[in-house]
Amino acid sequence: MERQAIQDELILYGRRFTSRLLLGTARYDSPSLLADAIGVANPALLTVSLRRQLSGSKESGESFWNLLRETNRTLLPNTAGCLSAHEAVKTACMGRELFQTNLVKLEVIGDELNLQPDPFGLVEAAMELVKLGFHVLPYCTEDWILCRRLMDAGCEALMPWAAPIGTGQGPRNPRALRELRQRAPQIPLIIDAGIGLPSHACQVMEWGFDGVLLNTAVSRANDPVQMASAFANAVRAGRGSFLAGPMVAQETAVPSTPEIGRPFADAQLQSPRSIDSALDPRLPVQALV
Amino acid sequence: MFVLVNGKAYPFPQSGTLAALLRSLSPLAPFAVALNEEFISQGTYENCLVHPNDRIDIVHPTAGG
Repeated sequence: MERQAIQDELILYGRRFTSRLLLGTARYDSPSLLADAIGVANPALLTVSLRRQLSGSKESGESFWNLLRETNRTLLPNTAGCLSAHEAVKTACMGRELFQTNLVKLEVIGDELNLQPDPFGLVEAAMELVKLGFHVLPYCTEDWILCRRLMDAGCEALMPWAAPIGTGQGPRNPRALRELRQRAPQIPLIIDAGIGLPSHACQVMEWGFDGVLLNTAVSRANDPVQMASAFANAVRAGRGSFLAGPMVAQETAVPSTPEIGRPFADAQLQSPRSIDSALDPRLPVQALV
Repeated sequence: MFVLVNGKAYPFPQSGTLAALLRSLSPLAPFAVALNEEFISQGTYENCLVHPNDRIDIVHPTAGG
């Protein structure tokens, strides 16, 4: 029987995406590597930022802008580096005008050592930005109360970290992340930051997260283009596994090959069975073949 | 008088508008502007006055994660 293909889309603020991978654009060795990585990863969104003009930078300026436009991807401006709600709101407003989108990846950093989100500033900024008409995707921790406050503020998607930005450690707190998924089953949850390996991405997708946002794991790989492809495959594999519904793990071994009809089984018994019992007519024919 | 543009002193005549300052600076498009750490939308450049020692930030698209 032919199975009907199910359209599985990531929906963020009413926008539909076929890909569940979000890709950062920073720290590539060259613009062409970035362009090739985007080509193979096929990301739903590209994260971008804004800075004062840096002379000679290959990651800004007209050529970078042209590269972004040629990818024809949805852009997600961030508020990276902001240390207060006020600063983040101003930066978001500048990003909205610059990139002509009301989407914003909201970052309010509370600790400059591990770039941990400031929960208080995050909620304050989210409330203000929602009032200003932004579609806010906050970079947050897996803390349930924080996530609830962000949802109360009007965020229709959340982006909890796996681990601190750029560390590549993978999910530090799997239990809390899975609890968050269980307690907020309806809202899109995208794992943002700390992913280092495709297996990390696959793992969180298997847990039911809706997407993965990563940057450094691709851009700082020895071969960013191949790694971008590996991540795209991993995200698809994890999502497929989640949708398929994995088996329940067992404590003890369960043979997968049928026991019935195993040859020589009688020879291994302490008290050998008779030929008559081996040819028990009550057994199905298939089991005797 | 001088204003601070992206942290650097820039000579600018008295009582100018932000639009006039931007015409004189000719930043590469696209860009966005903040005056004294407040965002100024593109449609209001002509009405926005720049005063001595004001701080102007002009930002452009850049790579981000």
